[in-house]
Amino acid sequence: MTQVLQQIALVSGKDLRIEARSRQTLGLVVVLGVLIVVVLGLGLGPQQVASGMAATAVLWVAYLFCGVLCFEKTMAVERHDGALAGLMLAPIDRGVIYAGKLLSNLVLMVMLALVVTPVAIVLFGFDLSAAPLGFAAIMAGGFVGFAAIGTLFAAAVSSTRLQGGLLAIVIFPVSLPLVIVSTQMMMRLFGEGEPLGGTGLAVLIAFDAVYLVVSWLVFELILEP
Amino acid sequence: MKTVDNKIMITYWLATTILFAASIVLVFAWTPVEQTMGVVQKIFYLHLPVAINTFLACLVSFIASVGYLWQRRQVWDDLAVSSAKMAVLLCGIVLLTGMIWGHSAWGVWWTWSPRLTFSLVLWLLYVAYLVIRPSIESRERRALVSAVYGVVAFLDVPLVYLSVKLMPDIHPSSIALSTEMKLTLLACMVPVTLLSVGLIALRFRLQRVESLNSETSSEPAPPTGVRGSFGGLA
Amino acid sequence: MTAMTSDTVLTTTDAALDTAGLAVQIRGLSKRYDERWVLSDINLSIPTGSYLTLLGANGAGKSTLLHTLAMLNPATSGELMLFGKSANRPSPGLRARIGVIGHQPMLYRDLSVMENLVFFGKLYGVSRPAQRAAELLERVGLADRASSMVKTFSRGMIQRLSIARALMHAPDLMLADEPFSGLDVPSVQAVSELLRELHADGKTVILTNHDVRQSLELAQRVVVLRCGSVVCDRQARHTNPDEVTREVIGS
Repeated sequence: MTQVLQQIALVSGKDLRIEARSRQTLGLVVVLGVLIVVVLGLGLGPQQVASGMAATAVLWVAYLFCGVLCFEKTMAVERHDGALAGLMLAPIDRGVIYAGKLLSNLVLMVMLALVVTPVAIVLFGFDLSAAPLGFAAIMAGGFVGFAAIGTLFAAAVSSTRLQGGLLAIVIFPVSLPLVIVSTQMMMRLFGEGEPLGGTGLAVLIAFDAVYLVVSWLVFELILEP
Repeated sequence: MKTVDNKIMITYWLATTILFAASIVLVFAWTPVEQTMGVVQKIFYLHLPVAINTFLACLVSFIASVGYLWQRRQVWDDLAVSSAKMAVLLCGIVLLTGMIWGHSAWGVWWTWSPRLTFSLVLWLLYVAYLVIRPSIESRERRALVSAVYGVVAFLDVPLVYLSVKLMPDIHPSSIALSTEMKLTLLACMVPVTLLSVGLIALRFRLQRVESLNSETSSEPAPPTGVRGSFGGLA
Repeated sequence: MTAMTSDTVLTTTDAALDTAGLAVQIRGLSKRYDERWVLSDINLSIPTGSYLTLLGANGAGKSTLLHTLAMLNPATSGELMLFGKSANRPSPGLRARIGVIGHQPMLYRDLSVMENLVFFGKLYGVSRPAQRAAELLERVGLADRASSMVKTFSRGMIQRLSIARALMHAPDLMLADEPFSGLDVPSVQAVSELLRELHADGKTVILTNHDVRQSLELAQRVVVLRCGSVVCDRQARHTNPDEVTREVIGS
């Protein structure tokens, strides 16, 4: 078990080292995320923005688009020069490759969120103080499910020309339930001041579990050197 | 052989048409007009059977996707696309009839009610399935990605259902039905199901012909003895 | 899961144990893509310590066969045994005994030479990967470039580096997919010398090539594939190149 964890850390650590060196993905997605928040802020106008609740929806839009870009970039690292085949030849479980990629994607998304979320909160005057932990829990639950399914499909389409916006068409519909659940939970938490209910969180965790298990099972089939 | 095939086809479609006509007669002549909604309520006899068939089409697509992942045979992919196309069509009808219903019940074409949202997300899921396919050039890859998507999309359906449950609801959760209404509903199930199955079968046939035609090599060679296909494959 | 310890990877005695046996044994192996048979009914026995070249035109199935041997691509039917163990379901233990030099370098261009080798070494559970990498870099003549980024390398250097990568875990079976394609003359010489050394060490070497003369010079044995079937299997010595060429073309 510790060995598997070490292997996952190895695969993911390599991704993050490449990212730290080239900084091409994070720079891109942070700027894109801020742009999306600004564009939506301008588009919604001062009155809508003042309600504050728009912030969570706006954040989801930013996370969805930036997330797809992250998934694509971390997979492109493996595509270059056939490095993926090198991983597949190694005596490691296919699940390790999946988990490593998932971890890299999650780290990137959390770093993205650390920049974009404060921007949205300030620009939209969103009052986070009511339940900062609840906010973080809902977002974390959403991220895990989204990254789980995103990592799977990024790998599935990486050997095809289905890149850019097209990957979004694959991932967005599948991720819609996550968006619905987390926005509904946010509305209850911040709009109606209800405490974070057990059922909502349970549904979110169930999502993550289903997405993770399915991706883990299917990942082996879609990997192609 | 061909004529027998044709006879079965003609009988099938004739039966479907007759049953359809019969159930329309039932809907308008036999069942009582609902008190609050009026004649618009009749759309319900189409709405529910089509909704159930949407689910069946999704199920067929899911089974075919699993079949493809398991056996890697083009046949499964052809079946999966055919039923996904049907699912989009049927789900589109569910959406439209649902909107018409909503318009007369609540006076608006669209509300973010759980069930309408559910149908919309389901429709989008399978529309995405269809639109991504042409973008993948390699046939095997297309079939594989589609199969993975088909599995995930179907498993997504209960998740969508769970998630919309969290939304505030104005949809009728249960409708008081008279015996005539229930019987008519059952009677409508039959032709709608026949139509859906027939259309999937037709579409599947067409898809088979297309994919057999697009095969680059000659006929598949058996594994032993015979030299395989012509060049061009790695 | 992957019970890889350093001693299972780095033992050279394993090779000695199999000397009597076969490195590769293929029985009735077929591979179907979709409805087309890319490999049909391949039967092949390759003793440990052989140096064998797979010849064939583009699309004859050489690369597919090599991928199947590398357990990247499961066969549709038939049996594949590597070192006397069934490889139809790939096991980590078998993977650790195989090294592959692919068409593509399988390296990360934004990592340095050393980082690449250490990464792959750790994946294979090699003990002291940095030391092993330094040794191999010495051997392939890239010792002075250990900290350069891979993206600054020429094709010939990348090919030598990818041999070093494939050797990190001291594999008993080396598979090489067209290792000479796109290389200049000195690089071809360097690469073929490295492969010859491996063979001299008692490792099994299997490569694909489309240059008939070169293959007959380098390998002990040549196997010609045409349309997914073995059509010719000869010892390289005393074999007429024209005859082999005719088999490749199929006239």
